[in-house]
Amino acid sequence: MEKNTSESKEGILGWAKFKGKGVGYFGFTFQRVSGVVILFYLYLHYTVLSNLLHGQATYNSIVQSITYGPYDLFIVFDILLALVIFYHGANGIRLALNEMGIGLKHNKAFFVIFESISMVLLLLFLYYAWLFVAA
Amino acid sequence: MSEKNYEFVVKRKDDNGKESYSSYEVPKDKISTVLEGLIYIKENFDQTLSFRYSCRMEICGSCGMEVNGKPRTACSTIVSQLGTDRVKVDPMKHYEVIKDLVVDMDPFFTKYSEGLPYIIREGEEDYSSEIPQTPEQFKEYEQYSMCIKCGLCMAACPIVGSDEDYMGPAPLAAVLRYNKDNRDQGSKYRLEIVDGDEGTSRCHFVGECTEVCPKGVDPSFAIQRLRMQGVRYELGKFFRRRK
Amino acid sequence: MVICGGVIKMENKTLKKPMTSRGTLGTVSWFFQVISGLFLVFFVGVHLYLAHIDFGHPIVFYDSVINNLKNPWWLLFYIAFVWVVTYHGLNGLKGILYDMGTRPKTRKYIAYILVAVYIVTVIYGTILAIIVSQIVIP
Repeated sequence: MEKNTSESKEGILGWAKFKGKGVGYFGFTFQRVSGVVILFYLYLHYTVLSNLLHGQATYNSIVQSITYGPYDLFIVFDILLALVIFYHGANGIRLALNEMGIGLKHNKAFFVIFESISMVLLLLFLYYAWLFVAA
Repeated sequence: MSEKNYEFVVKRKDDNGKESYSSYEVPKDKISTVLEGLIYIKENFDQTLSFRYSCRMEICGSCGMEVNGKPRTACSTIVSQLGTDRVKVDPMKHYEVIKDLVVDMDPFFTKYSEGLPYIIREGEEDYSSEIPQTPEQFKEYEQYSMCIKCGLCMAACPIVGSDEDYMGPAPLAAVLRYNKDNRDQGSKYRLEIVDGDEGTSRCHFVGECTEVCPKGVDPSFAIQRLRMQGVRYELGKFFRRRK
Repeated sequence: MVICGGVIKMENKTLKKPMTSRGTLGTVSWFFQVISGLFLVFFVGVHLYLAHIDFGHPIVFYDSVINNLKNPWWLLFYIAFVWVVTYHGLNGLKGILYDMGTRPKTRKYIAYILVAVYIVTVIYGTILAIIVSQIVIP
């Protein structure tokens, strides 16, 4: 039972203990997790874009395969990625405002406002992107 | 547990390093704060229970501990306001435990003194008379001088938990307190210290330090101000060097 | 250090080095992280709009990507995007690795490796964008 309390060093697992903590704690940890996910995707994206050098057929077949077909389950990861990007952006704006000294006293309100706006934008984005994919 | 008692669950650690939880029933009408509860336990049930306290009025900053999972000063935590009859008391996180609730505060005070928390003057001056300060100039840093060095912010900060060399909220707030003092001329020495990898740049505005601070020092705001001072200082240094 | 009248006087040469090396540039690198983050909100917004919405003409397939890069302003946009997003990502990773309480010596290696990765990525990305913009669509 809670063997960590007596150790002076909690380690990064301490970042995941949200119980009884404020909203800033949750925002901080997920900012890191989402950042790592996006960085991983960034390099994946560079790799896919490198296939532009291999000509039209190769590149188009990759895009086709992850949008329509046989690997269209990839769309689930795409939606998760969009969620993560929108979260990271909204929380990042809050942190940038914090950096300028705005909203440090109302972190929770700022978090809720920015995340709600970004989630609405996310839904709009997914809706229009879905219109294109379905067409 | 009856209606008339609080249940105190206290983390224990004996000389051999063996850890356990002890449970005590404390009558509700005998105590009001957590510290009084612990004193009641020590006087009536268990003389071996160790904890630090001195002033009992939130001035000395010795009775920091985790009450129901949140760092608080035991003397100013009123049990009836916790909303539960079960009071779980742990030693502060991110410190080495010496015995029971007593933790080793030395690393905290070392970090505190590393930020040069004293007035620094340059040049030869006659110190036979005082250096004047207006009430407005005092108001500039009054908030940050309220720190009682209880170390609760260090227990709340997730970065202190993962990077034990990080200076931490209270030492950085102390740096700002002296940088904002009009009698002080040593800002550049302090900014040189806090601008590095273990200073302000390790703070990511989790805001837990402000949340737990019993004196309203608001260390996260202090770190933000200090960071802006640091950016101005570093960029100024960079451009001056190239002139 | 001279103590007189309760005031501690300090001169440059008597300033002792702090107990742990706290280095420099941490603050400025984090300040640039914020600035690049604000730029990226704009960059990523435009990019997502172009790549997935753009009301009927999203830039997804081979022809549309290359036609888009034929415009020098878009080429510049994407090259700047690569430079900024890679800085933001790798600097963020550096922050996470430093926050784990790594030793100063390890940190030096981490910094060297990340700078190397940054330079390689940026050069590769720039060259890729320029080559792709030169491709003639058959």
